Parts: sequence; structure tokens; C-alpha cells
Amino acid sequence: MKKITIYLLPLVAFLAVLGFLYKGLFSDPRDHQSSLLEQPMPEFVLPDLMNIQQTYSQDIFLGKVTLLNVWGVWCITCAIELPYLNQLREEGKHIIGLYYDQDIDPDFGIKTVERVQQEVTDKLNQLGNPYAFNIFDVKRNLSLDLGVTGAPETYLIDQQGKIRLHHIGDINPRVWNKKFAPVYDLLVLQ
Amino acid sequence: MRVILSHIIFVLSLGFSVQLLATEDKFHFDKPQKTALFLDLTKELRCPKCQNQNIADSDAMIAVDLKRKVHELVKKDFTKQQVIDFMKQRYGDFVYYQPPVNPMTIWLWLLPILFVVAALASIAISRKRQSPEINDEQLAKAEAILEHEE
Repeated sequence: MKKITIYLLPLVAFLAVLGFLYKGLFSDPRDHQSSLLEQPMPEFVLPDLMNIQQTYSQDIFLGKVTLLNVWGVWCITCAIELPYLNQLREEGKHIIGLYYDQDIDPDFGIKTVERVQQEVTDKLNQLGNPYAFNIFDVKRNLSLDLGVTGAPETYLIDQQGKIRLHHIGDINPRVWNKKFAPVYDLLVLQ
Repeated sequence: MRVILSHIIFVLSLGFSVQLLATEDKFHFDKPQKTALFLDLTKELRCPKCQNQNIADSDAMIAVDLKRKVHELVKKDFTKQQVIDFMKQRYGDFVYYQPPVNPMTIWLWLLPILFVVAALASIAISRKRQSPEINDEQLAKAEAILEHEE
């Protein structure tokens, strides 16, 4: 009897390791809790992408449930995501874009704003415009404060200007229904 | 031997100076301690996009932005811990290569210790079991046999 337990031990250990590694196959290493959840939006003063004279601050998020979508014309996944964002807008969701440009290197020269605006206009004419407006994160400082790792990423912000969700990657019907819809519907009811 | 040694030193110093030059190229500091702190931090902070690289090695845009931020903070006289806290606040514990000790990660330290203890215990047990029990009576018998053979 005792012998059998000893011989079973490696098998049990093997199965445990197997289970652990099998689970690892399906875990996304990029999927880690954002440390900004339940935190208010970081403070910022940034211009509107299309009208540089106009500036926004964190107060624009007060009073409305907002989706803040981080994107850029250089980002291929963002282009794939745009049609679905358009659909969300048609359903009445309030979407604000946080735009940043990859080619603008704050240490060296700066691409002209007109060129960035032209690129954005072209892209949105082609694929539709889901955004109420776009905040231009000129030096990517707000992105850094938000813990953005790339594009696309989307934040769900409640009426009090608090971050409730942070999604890395594109939004599609599956992600919306599974991750966003439960939280969003609850927030809208409040 | 001495020639080889001097060669090695030469090559090493070459690598070192190139690295220093490369950082000073883009990120200037007024004090060498700050340069050292900057190099330290960029080695220990992890790039959130390309997860198996530190921000010093990575050329991803986010890594460049983080390096720029570290530079800015170090220039503002932030201590090492303050810079790390600043980054953790935004990118989570994930961004620093040294994991914090909490109920989830404590196993990283406990498991190896438990393993060693368990291994030692099993060795001790099997040793004890293997060693044959010898008593005086058996010894006397063995000696009698030996004597008989002689």
C-alpha cells in the first residue's frame, strides 16, 4: 500500500505541472490588472486634435459615461476596430479619442500639426468617425500617466471621472459583451 | 597571460565607454551619480510592451517614452525608489523586475525552501530505513564466523 503511494507521487506531481502549464497556454501575459482602476483620471491640459486652440482637462469626463479610445492612424488594429466603434456610437455611446502620433519624437523634430490633422481626416473619412472629439496627446504624457502600453487601448470612465475599465487591444463584439457591457450598463443606470 | 589580461581589460573598457557615450548622447545629466542612477533604473524597469526586455534594451516607443520620463524624474532629483513608485503607480508591479512580496508571490521564495526541506527529509528517512540494525548478538556471531575461518 505504501509502495503504491510512493510510485503514484511522480504521477501526481506530473499531473499538477501539466495542469499548471496547460492553464498557462491560455493566459495572456499582457492581461494584467491596471493599477489605475477606481482612480480618478490623471490631471491634464491638452489641445483638441482638430482645433489646437481649444484645450481640454480631466473635467470633460464629469457627468457622462465615456469610452476613451487610444488610437493613431499608424495603428493597424485601430483601423480594424473603427467600424465597431462606429456601431457603438450609433447605439449612443459617448466615445472620445486620445490621439498620439508615433512619428513625433519629443526629443527631436516635430511633425507639423497640419500633417497629422490631414492624416486623421483622411482615415476617418474612409472608415467613419466614432469620436465626439479627439484629445491630442502631443508628447504622450497623458498616455504615460494612464499606463498606456500601445494602441489600441480603451478606458471606461464613469460619471465621476473615475476609471472603471482598462482594455489593452481592440474592442470587438466579443470583448464588448464579455468585458464592457456588464460594467457599462450598470454605470448608465446610475 | 598578462597580454591576454590586458586585452580583456581593453575590450571591456571599450564596451563600457561605448555604453556611456550612447546614453550621454541622448540623455544628459550634470552629475555622474545621476547618470549611474539612470543606467540602473533603465536596466531594472521592464518594458510593458515587449515583456522580456528592460527599457534600456528596448526600442519600442513606450520604452523610449519611459526612458525619457526616467531622465526627467532623475533630473528633478527623484530618488531611485521614487522613480520606481512613479512607474508602478502607472504600470503596476509588472513594470519593475523585482517582484513585491505578497500572499501571491511569497511562493516564489517558499517553494524552493519547502522543496529543499522535503528533499532532505526524504533522504534522511530513506537512510534510516536502509541502515541494517545490528545488535551485539549479531556482532558476536559474525566474529565467531570470522575466527572460525581463520
